[in-house]
Amino acid sequence: MQHGQQKVVKTSGKSRIIIVETSSDVNESNSNDIIVTGSHQGSGSYLAGCKVKGAIGNDAGKGKQDAGIAGLKLLDEQGIPAAAVGNMTAKIGNGDSTYEQGNISAVNEAARKLGISEGMSAKEAADKMLQALAR
Amino acid sequence: MVKEVHKVVKESGGYRIIIANSATSIDDNNKKDVVVDGSHFGLNVGQYALQAKIRGMIGNDAGIGLEEAGIAGLKLLGQHGVPGAAVSCMSAKIGNGTATYEEGVISVANETAKILGITKGMSAKEAADKMFEAALKQK
Repeated sequence: MQHGQQKVVKTSGKSRIIIVETSSDVNESNSNDIIVTGSHQGSGSYLAGCKVKGAIGNDAGKGKQDAGIAGLKLLDEQGIPAAAVGNMTAKIGNGDSTYEQGNISAVNEAARKLGISEGMSAKEAADKMLQALAR
Repeated sequence: MVKEVHKVVKESGGYRIIIANSATSIDDNNKKDVVVDGSHFGLNVGQYALQAKIRGMIGNDAGIGLEEAGIAGLKLLGQHGVPGAAVSCMSAKIGNGTATYEEGVISVANETAKILGITKGMSAKEAADKMFEAALKQK
């Protein structure tokens, strides 16, 4: 996986699950996609601007004022399901690791409504986000 | 993606200390810069820093995490003789370069940074100054 690349791991209709190394590799062409990223979930504004349909990132240890997951709330305000994996379960900066190894440590309300909860694998959480789009 | 505009907090003889929210926003134009950013210091960030050939970097340790992935880039920079340090995720808000610079407290420094006198517990500002002074001496 390299900077600038997007890996498609699943497709359902016009929607996909996409893995990226960093959230800055996402763009407006991802407006039907679920994004699994190696980045922290600190900002959210960039992903919200790209109008993605779901996002899973790293909680970065949550940190000061829960800054590592502050983006979850912002995405929730846009009705976008989002979750973060624990920084001890996946290597930050590595989107494949988020997807393959990550365990969910935090979810926003929109994600919780889809049945995504703490302790779930990132893979299962991404699947739930994708399935919700097919409904 | 709209290119992030960096904040310059110090400048001398073409060398600068700049603040960026995201490490992905740095490029060839930052060759003479010490970069203080809001990103984690993962392996990919170390790679971006090497490609841009910057003079030093301070980022967020992201709680260090699995296999110390949050500071893996720091080690990579050290292997190439570039000073790097990370601030504790409990001292500064990740994703916010200004918080790293204004509030960050160093939790880890690579060998090159240690040689410059940068140590755990130092403010990010002081650490950035030391990297900046070293860059000026090297020119």
